[in-house]
Amino acid sequence: MIFWEVFKMSVSALNTNRLRGFLTLLGVIIGVTSVITIISALEGLSQSIRAELEALGPSTFIVTRFGIIRSEEEFLEAVKRKPLKYEHMEAIRDGCDLCERMAVASHFRVEAKHDNRKLRRVLVEGASAGIIDIVDTEVEYGRYFSEEEEHTRSRVAFIGSNVQEELYPGVDPIGKWIKLNNIKYRVIGVAKEKGSTFDDNSDRFVSIPYATFVKDFAYRGMGLSIYVKAASVELLPEAMDQARAVLRAFRHVPYNKDDDFGIVTADAVMAVINDITKVIRFGLIGISSIALVVGGIIIMNIMMVSVTERTREIGIRKSVGARQRDILLQFLYESLILSLGGGLIGIAIGVFLGDVLIGLIEMNMTPSMFAISIGLIISMGTGLFFGIYPAMKAARLQPVKALSYE
Amino acid sequence: MALIDTKDLWKTFEMGAVQVHALQGITLAINKGDYVAIMGPSGSGKSTLMNLIGCLDTPTSGEYFLNDKLVSTLTDDELAYIRNKEIGFVFQTFNLLPRATALHNVELPLVYSGKSRTVREAMAKKALEQVDLADRMTHRPNELSGGQRQRVAIARALVNEPSLILADEPTGNLDSKTSLEIMDLLARLHQDGNTIIVVTHDHEVAQFANRVYHIRDGMIEREEFIDKTGQTTSETRQ
Repeated sequence: MIFWEVFKMSVSALNTNRLRGFLTLLGVIIGVTSVITIISALEGLSQSIRAELEALGPSTFIVTRFGIIRSEEEFLEAVKRKPLKYEHMEAIRDGCDLCERMAVASHFRVEAKHDNRKLRRVLVEGASAGIIDIVDTEVEYGRYFSEEEEHTRSRVAFIGSNVQEELYPGVDPIGKWIKLNNIKYRVIGVAKEKGSTFDDNSDRFVSIPYATFVKDFAYRGMGLSIYVKAASVELLPEAMDQARAVLRAFRHVPYNKDDDFGIVTADAVMAVINDITKVIRFGLIGISSIALVVGGIIIMNIMMVSVTERTREIGIRKSVGARQRDILLQFLYESLILSLGGGLIGIAIGVFLGDVLIGLIEMNMTPSMFAISIGLIISMGTGLFFGIYPAMKAARLQPVKALSYE
Repeated sequence: MALIDTKDLWKTFEMGAVQVHALQGITLAINKGDYVAIMGPSGSGKSTLMNLIGCLDTPTSGEYFLNDKLVSTLTDDELAYIRNKEIGFVFQTFNLLPRATALHNVELPLVYSGKSRTVREAMAKKALEQVDLADRMTHRPNELSGGQRQRVAIARALVNEPSLILADEPTGNLDSKTSLEIMDLLARLHQDGNTIIVVTHDHEVAQFANRVYHIRDGMIEREEFIDKTGQTTSETRQ
């Protein structure tokens, strides 16, 4: 019960000096705000990347020329590799019995036109008809192209929702023409909106049959990616090993050399992303904790001033029987209330800032419970760490000296 | 049985390289129900003696028994407990919390002895009634006159029913009329059975006591007995 009484004393002391209290809070507010914003931004980033990767599905892997590049040396080595071709997909199809479905895709950015409307930097994807079963692309309306259309190299196009909005506002695009590099394609379907990560709009794409793509955009040496779906999630590692062996043999890689291609799974990409965001997270949190240390020092400084100012009050309290612990708690509560108040305000601003940022840069921000609890813990920790010394100083004052302090 | 029993109390302060002996062997006894004044010029050591008797400080050497309990060797927190239960202070400068109401100031010792809110309020109200301030309970110190502030301080000293009320120059900041009121109040509290020690340099204030210890240079110079017919007898110590 005495704890509660002492707590009330702290509150009333803070109440008499609100402006000073608020100024004291600023450092902690800034620190917690930046920590919360950073954590929310990073959480949001990895969530949107995860969402895109989940479209691949857990039993799918992608064979590409580069794979995951982690260093400059790896990159310089990888550019010497021969591109992947359609025949490599055929080799996997014939040699890997654990690989259930496969498809190829290749892409390229061009300008798309319809009538007098133009849209720049549209991703043109040449894909096998079967890719719709591997990569999770949902059809909003119309349809995806068929194997038949691929074989006959039909000029048909399946467009992303952004392309539809920009080129066919208020018009049903099905059956209309779209021009890519001045070649006309007939629109047969529109994809469901996927959303975007940063400014890379995942809905600004046009999908055409791979064979058509080769015919119309057949630049020499252009590589492709091979999408493979294993028979099951459990068999994914074995399927990857099989495909790898087939490709090494087909591309005549000597047994003592590394693969001259890369295999990517959603998990592997996610692991890399997590590594990167982990580094960013600790780096940024480290930087923003400088603000917290500054905030803590401000609290400590103000508490020292407060102890000196109230030396006589401490003497009075001691003369009527306050123990060291009672005085210690009273001042510790004050710094805790200050820092926790700063933490709560910082969390509120951080969450609000997250909302604003979502609107500004179309970024997915998630103010998670994790971020909020981190904010609470560090602000309380700051208050405790920087409040304990002034509070101990107050508690250890000699009553006689405190009472005669002018 | 003596309430206060000190044996050869010494208090030495280090002032840089110099040692200052503020008290040089004080031996005295004060009984329950006594009204004692400690008199002396400034620098005589009377305030140091009051701090020791009030358990605000500990002696450099010597023994101090309060209620037969040796308190000269207690720790800070044990002394805080004694101050809370056994001693009520009245200071020259009142020493009230400026932002707290009269009632809350009087409650303060009860807060630290862990009394519940209702008990605290009842006891504090009773103490304020004893000093005739029942109508000023919600006033803050700056809304009260000097005499009223000192009465709040006396109520705070009384509220925990201590063994001893210790007043350090209680009239030092008051005019003579108000001083008289305060001394009358202390006299009344003495008649009600409280033990009172007044530290003062004012001869008139000391005359309210039954007994006066005259202090000089950290020693008891003489002990004076006052009977209420106005006759005084005095005994000089060696």
